[in-house]
Amino acid sequence: MTYEEFADSRLAALLRYAVMLTGDPHQAQDLVQDTMVRVQLNWRRVARADSPERYVRRMLTNQYVDWRRGSWMRRVLLRAESDDAVPAPADHAQHAVDRDQVWSWLARLPRRQRATLVLRYYEDLPDAEIADILGCAVGTVRSSISRALATLRAEYVEA
Amino acid sequence: MIEDDLRAAFARHEPLTPPTGPVRAAIARLVAVRRRRRRRLGAGGAALALLALLGVGIPQFTPDRVAGDATLLVEPGRRAPAGALNVLLLGVDSRGDEMPPLADSVLLVHIPADRSRPYLVSLSRDLEVAIPGYGRDKLNAAAAYGARADGGLDLARGYELIRRTVTDLTGVRVDAGAVITFPVLRQLTDLLSGVEVCLPQRVRSSHTDRVFPAGCQRLDGRASLDLLRQRRDLPDGGVDRDRNAQRFAAGLIRRAGEQGVLHDPVRFSRILAELDPELTVATTGGSVLDLVQVVPELASVEPVGLSLPAVVSRTGDRWVLRPDPAAAPAFLAALREDRLAQWAGQHPERVTRLH
Repeated sequence: MTYEEFADSRLAALLRYAVMLTGDPHQAQDLVQDTMVRVQLNWRRVARADSPERYVRRMLTNQYVDWRRGSWMRRVLLRAESDDAVPAPADHAQHAVDRDQVWSWLARLPRRQRATLVLRYYEDLPDAEIADILGCAVGTVRSSISRALATLRAEYVEA
Repeated sequence: MIEDDLRAAFARHEPLTPPTGPVRAAIARLVAVRRRRRRRLGAGGAALALLALLGVGIPQFTPDRVAGDATLLVEPGRRAPAGALNVLLLGVDSRGDEMPPLADSVLLVHIPADRSRPYLVSLSRDLEVAIPGYGRDKLNAAAAYGARADGGLDLARGYELIRRTVTDLTGVRVDAGAVITFPVLRQLTDLLSGVEVCLPQRVRSSHTDRVFPAGCQRLDGRASLDLLRQRRDLPDGGVDRDRNAQRFAAGLIRRAGEQGVLHDPVRFSRILAELDPELTVATTGGSVLDLVQVVPELASVEPVGLSLPAVVSRTGDRWVLRPDPAAAPAFLAALREDRLAQWAGQHPERVTRLH
C-alpha cells in the first residue's frame, strides 16, 4: 500500500476518530494533520507494520494522550478561526441539552479513559485490539472502561 | 443504558468531522516544509555545531583524541542543556608575539530557550566600559590587559577578563566562549573552500586596495580577513565592521552546513587536526558535547544580527562610545530575559541585514 492509497481510504475515518477523542473539529484536524505528517515522512516504517491502520491509530492516540502545552495544543489554542464552516450537531429535540451532557462529561475524563471509551463504544473494537492501540494490558483496558463508566454514572446521579 | 447514551452521543457528533480535502492539502504542505527543513537542518545544524565546537572544543581535541571525540559527536543520548545559552566569541588580531592582542570583534551568540534560532549580538570593541580591576576603558583593551597580566601573553587570561567585563556590562551568564585568532579564521575559511558573504554596499580595502562589490561573493581565507579588517573607509566605521563580522559568521554557518562537515567524521577530524590549536576556551559548566546537543533543537540556523545600541558622547575633551542610555537598557533586559525575538520585532531598524 502506498501512502496515497492509505490516505484515500483511511483519512475520513481517522478524522472522525479524532473528533470523538478531542470533541472539537479544529483540534481533531490538527491532531490528524500532525500525525499524518509523521506517517508520510516515515511511511516505509508504517507500511511494514502488520496493520498500518492500527499502527497509525496508535500514533494518533498516543499523540492525543501525551499532548502537552507547547505541542499541537498550543497551535490549536492560538488559532482564532470561527466555527461557521462546521455544521452544528443535528439536534432539534429539546432533550438536546440533556443528551449532550454526556458529550460534555466526556471532556472531563482523563484522556486515556476517554480514548478507551471511544475505541470501545465508537469504533467497536475488541478489548485486545484496544489494549494494543493503547499499549497496555487487556485487564487495564477493562478497568479503565469501568472506571470511566462509573464516573459518567455518578454524573447522571448528580444531574 | 449509559453505554447506549455514549454510542448515541458519538454518533450525533459525527457531523463535526471536518472534510478530508483541506486536511489532505494541509498535510501535503506540512510534509513539504518539514522535508525542506530536514535538509536544511541536516546541513546547517552541523555547521552551527562546528562553530560551537570551534568555539569551545579545540583544546580538548588534541590530535590523538580527535577521531574518538569526533565520532562521539553523533552519538545520541546525551542531554542537551536547557534554557537560554550565551557563547562569547572574540575575534583577535594577535599582532605578533610581543604585542598584546586586541579583541577586534566581540560577538555574543545567544541561543534562546525556545531554540528558535541563534542571535548574534555584537558588542562594539570601542565601547567604553568598566573593566574589572582596570577602571574604564575600551572593551577591546580588556583582552590586552588580561593577556599581559602575568608578564607573558596569554590569550586565555585575555578572554577571561573580557568575559567578566561582558558579564558585568550585560548581566548575562556566559556559558562558553572562544578566542578566534585571524590565522585560525583564515585556515577555517580555506578548509571550507571559502565562505559566501553578502554585502549591502561596496567595500574597498584600505590595506590591499581590493574591492569587495556589493552583493554576495565567495571569499577565501585571505580575502575574508582582509574584509574583516576594514573599518576606516566604512560609513559607520567599527559598527559596520561588526556587521560584516556577523555577515561572515552567517556565511560560515551556512557554508559549513552545505558541506555537511559534521556528518562526515573523517572530514571533520581532518579539519580539527589541520587547524592550529590557537583557540582558547573557557566553559562555565557543561561540556562542549552537551552544547553541541543544542544544535539539532534549533528550528532555524539562520541567525539574527543585532548589536548593543551605542551612542558617541563627549567626556571632557574626549569622544567616547557608550551604551545608548535610551535604547541599551531595554535591549539588555530583552537579552537577559530571553526576549530578543520580541525586541527585534519592535526594532526592525536595528536588525543587521545578513544576506
